[in-house]
Amino acid sequence: MTSGLSAALAIAKKDIVTQLRKKFEIFSMFLFALSAVLAFSFALVSQGTIPEDVGSAMLWVIIFFTGMFGFAPIFLSESETGTLRGLASAPIPAWSVYVGKVIYGFVLMGIVQIFLVPIIAVMFGFSFLNDIPLTIATLVVGTLDLAAVGSMASALTMPSESKATIFPLVYFPTAISGLMLLIEITKIIVIGPGLIPVMVIFQLLLAHLLAMLTLSASIFHFALTP
Amino acid sequence: MIKAIETKELTRRYGYRVALKKVSLEFTVGGIHGLFGANGAGKTTLMRIISTLLRPHGGFISVMGYDPQEEPEEVKQRIGLIGDKPLLYQELSGIENLQFYSKLYGLAEDHFKKQVNELAERFGFTTWLEEPVKNLSSGLRKRLDIVRSLIHDPMLLLLDEPFSGLDKDSSEVFRDYLEEKRQARTTILTTHNLAIGSELCDDYVTLRKGLVVGQGPIADFEQTL
Repeated sequence: MTSGLSAALAIAKKDIVTQLRKKFEIFSMFLFALSAVLAFSFALVSQGTIPEDVGSAMLWVIIFFTGMFGFAPIFLSESETGTLRGLASAPIPAWSVYVGKVIYGFVLMGIVQIFLVPIIAVMFGFSFLNDIPLTIATLVVGTLDLAAVGSMASALTMPSESKATIFPLVYFPTAISGLMLLIEITKIIVIGPGLIPVMVIFQLLLAHLLAMLTLSASIFHFALTP
Repeated sequence: MIKAIETKELTRRYGYRVALKKVSLEFTVGGIHGLFGANGAGKTTLMRIISTLLRPHGGFISVMGYDPQEEPEEVKQRIGLIGDKPLLYQELSGIENLQFYSKLYGLAEDHFKKQVNELAERFGFTTWLEEPVKNLSSGLRKRLDIVRSLIHDPMLLLLDEPFSGLDKDSSEVFRDYLEEKRQARTTILTTHNLAIGSELCDDYVTLRKGLVVGQGPIADFEQTL
């Protein structure tokens, strides 16, 4: 029998290879993100720069909605092609399927962000150079948090006949608390310290991620085996 | 006698519709056992419960001595599943699909290579191993799916309409394989092709509207045809 973590890595690797061969999902995510950046920068730039607090929110709103393109089909394609039964009938713990999908969602969004974040920094005219380690940590934890929520939302909406409508109804309310923390941290990185120390907010974000991962992984077998 | 599958008053509902109504049956270890019935009789539901893909709403089930609800991984390690749809990833090649499943089943690299060589040769798939699944015909996909289901050398093989989509030659190769492994492996076969079913199976259970309406040696079934 294989360990849960190596099964999760095998699932993530399989999804990444599949995605890189298909390309269109990652391309549509990037295209959406780029269009949103351009639209916001044309709409909001006055006197050369976007107000930094608005820009911080926009960064995460764009990542949040871009994630919808990547996270929604995470289980949909497995369910439609029947391969989900292959995963469900394999001798691996149910949580490893969930964790594998979270890793895949994280890598997918990470690839988009490598291109997106520098473009946003240039177009919105603000710099993350004030605190590079915290910027990287926030992007990593924030993307993992969105991937954790998005993967579970995708799994929960699998049995529904109107998945496209139901997915945002599950994804939005679950992800919004993490999103607010991410916006607050990014605002502090760009503008400077606020009323609450940044590390307190970052710890709250970590707690949110851990709560989402633990809760989702512990109930995932219900999504996999009806 | 050791039982591969044992159910007592097994019940499963979909909403208000009862798919299995207090089904009690036994299949011994080894041999090929037929599970027959018309569409909607409950065959696929029973196969899914055996393979841990569905939870029953009542009754008892034991698969190779394990409870699928309490010890699902023990059951999953011992079963091979072939359904109506091949459980294959279109963008991956045949060998990549097999490598992926071998990792999920925790196969050692040398054992995996030995199994692939043997099974791909047997099912005439060796020349297609590097080809992406999306480029394969439905018959070749089915052959690859058979190789996938056997890669971990399962003790219990669950076959839901395994011959559909296979050409005559491939069908014969698979039947020969099942014959060869008749005693070494337990096989549960559902098929609408009663000629193949009665030829291959040692005994049978017939379901109708979720109820067991017949069971016994295959000779008894042949008399009802």
